[in-house]
Amino acid sequence: MTNGHEAVERTVVVGNPLGLHARVATMMVQAMKNYTCQVTLVKDDLEVDARSVLELLLLAATPGTEILVRAQGPDSLAAIKEIDRLIQENAIEEN
Amino acid sequence: MRGSSDKQLNFFIKGVGVSGGVGIGQIVVIERLTTEICPRRMIKPEEVPAEIQRFESAVKAAAQRLRDIRNSIDQDHPLCDHAYILDTHILLLQDRMFFEGTKAAIASERRNAEWALSDIMMKITSAFDTIEDEYLKERARDIHFIGERVLKLLMGITSRSKVHQLPPNSVIVAHDLSPSDTAQIKKENVFGFAIDMGGKTSHTAIMARSLKIPAVTGLEKVSRLVQTGENIIVDGSTGIVIVNPDPETIFRYRERQEVYRKYQQSLMTFGRLPAVTRDGSRTVRITANIELVDEIEIAASHGAEGIGLFRTEYLFLGRKDLPSEDEQYEVYRRALEHNKPNPVTIRTLDIGGDKISAHLQFSQETNPAMGLRAIRLCLSRTDIFKTQLKAILRAAVHGNCRLLIPMISCLTELIATKEILRQVKEELTEAGMEFEHQVKLGVLVEVPSAVVIADILAREVDFFSIGTNDLIQYALAIDRVNEHVNYLYDTLHPAVLRLIRQVTSAGQARGLQVSMCGEMAGDPVNIPILLGLGIDELSMNSLSIPMVKKLIRSINMDDCAELTRLAFEMQDAAAIHSLLEGWISEHFPKDYFVDQS
Repeated sequence: MTNGHEAVERTVVVGNPLGLHARVATMMVQAMKNYTCQVTLVKDDLEVDARSVLELLLLAATPGTEILVRAQGPDSLAAIKEIDRLIQENAIEEN
Repeated sequence: MRGSSDKQLNFFIKGVGVSGGVGIGQIVVIERLTTEICPRRMIKPEEVPAEIQRFESAVKAAAQRLRDIRNSIDQDHPLCDHAYILDTHILLLQDRMFFEGTKAAIASERRNAEWALSDIMMKITSAFDTIEDEYLKERARDIHFIGERVLKLLMGITSRSKVHQLPPNSVIVAHDLSPSDTAQIKKENVFGFAIDMGGKTSHTAIMARSLKIPAVTGLEKVSRLVQTGENIIVDGSTGIVIVNPDPETIFRYRERQEVYRKYQQSLMTFGRLPAVTRDGSRTVRITANIELVDEIEIAASHGAEGIGLFRTEYLFLGRKDLPSEDEQYEVYRRALEHNKPNPVTIRTLDIGGDKISAHLQFSQETNPAMGLRAIRLCLSRTDIFKTQLKAILRAAVHGNCRLLIPMISCLTELIATKEILRQVKEELTEAGMEFEHQVKLGVLVEVPSAVVIADILAREVDFFSIGTNDLIQYALAIDRVNEHVNYLYDTLHPAVLRLIRQVTSAGQARGLQVSMCGEMAGDPVNIPILLGLGIDELSMNSLSIPMVKKLIRSINMDDCAELTRLAFEMQDAAAIHSLLEGWISEHFPKDYFVDQS
């Protein structure tokens, strides 16, 4: 329990028809700049840093995949909420 | 036209048309740097800090350059919706795998920055190779783009990319085109793109469509076959690229270009009108083939009167688990609600066991096209099938739903399907779920045996849909993707026409609706004969809809009947082609360009 903050976890399903793709990964890394907590995304036995576009892409989270979001730190609740929204968002890529 | 030297070869290549229209101009080859040519040397321990610093400043400069390009794209820029990809690239430059990884490799392996960087690029791209999802896999190319940018800076290659100095009438030919290159081109000077790599979801494709510049991708090696300055034609609608065309070809394509331009203007008008023949005697429903719910809007804006083929495979692809009933229900419901009261034809899972869920443990098949797939897979894995059927029946309450079963090859499979449908309804009733009891059931006629017994199958279903892509492949024993035999693939083979006639007659005898989905339905040349054979509904790529509607509105049923009669008297595909193509170009010379070469 670093900094006396308990880890917060939430399971989210990827809503975007293209999966957790470049645009979502970029938005996520940009959003993380406003938080201090540590956030990771877990799929199967792969755990990646929400601050790395590359790792997020390599997670290969296709539409409908369940992802466990894990956050630890003072602002983890707010961060997890934003990550949750980004993953679930069903944005349309073209048009 | 430039003066031509005798080594200029006239040739054409077929790729994937990803952005419509015809572009005619002079080639500008954009070369890419390959990591193989970068200098490799071991460095001394005391050189490490300086080498790391050299790498850091190259990355910093690369990021600054990308930021400048990013900032040059304002709200009014046609690419402003895609500018995020430049943000992605900036973040990739700072990504720890890339940035820290390279620095660590310099320090521990004592390699110069170029060498360490190419190694890291290779490592990262090979990690992407294991990804199954096509879209995500393609992102490996983004690593190439940024890595290359840093490499150039490290190697002191300062010459600015040719994209900055494109002369008017340029057609860009490249192995691959980075989003930052695409973002910097002067749109007025670029008449087309011809690219080795990529498919419809590549960023080049997406950006070309936004810029409204004709583009063909997937040309494999065009960038190595041509030289800057040569003449080229890029037909983004058919995917054909012609290098060093003769004046006559250029003339023909100029006409085609004009047709395309005018056609674009009148396009949407025709999309909105019904497909009634000129004599008013026949109305055909025109529907769209779609894969994603998000395509519905494009379909509707092009005049689709419903969905004639909703492929459901993407729900199952690229994931470890299977989509739940609720997840599927949500997708189907959205499609049905959007199209109400127009029909949505949902095709049940049409896929081989090898494509879904690694954990299902299906054995490798030597001939998957004829293996355990589609309805065969569904009947052997009724758990998967029942979940999908339940989701469809529940969603059907929200619109006009039709259920289409792929790859039926005998009556037994159809009877078994109906039995499962009965069980599914029972289970839904027991569970107290709301669902539609009277969903129309159809067979996707795509196996030759189903054509031959169409009269038998007709007694058990509400409609037929002819899937021409597979039917032609199975009937002519031709693998379309096998380059050695695909020249034999012919939509107008007399056998194909006879097979279609057999299905329409069997359907008509029992008053069934017969539709067609497959590329054949969207090609204007085939329309008179399809109407002549009595097809009730044509389902196609959304972009083809306005053109097909326009044609149907200009022809008479008498002509269709006569052309059909004549075609059935002919003995080979070539004769039928020249009959239909000749007729179209004679009657609609301005509207339809038919390449008779």
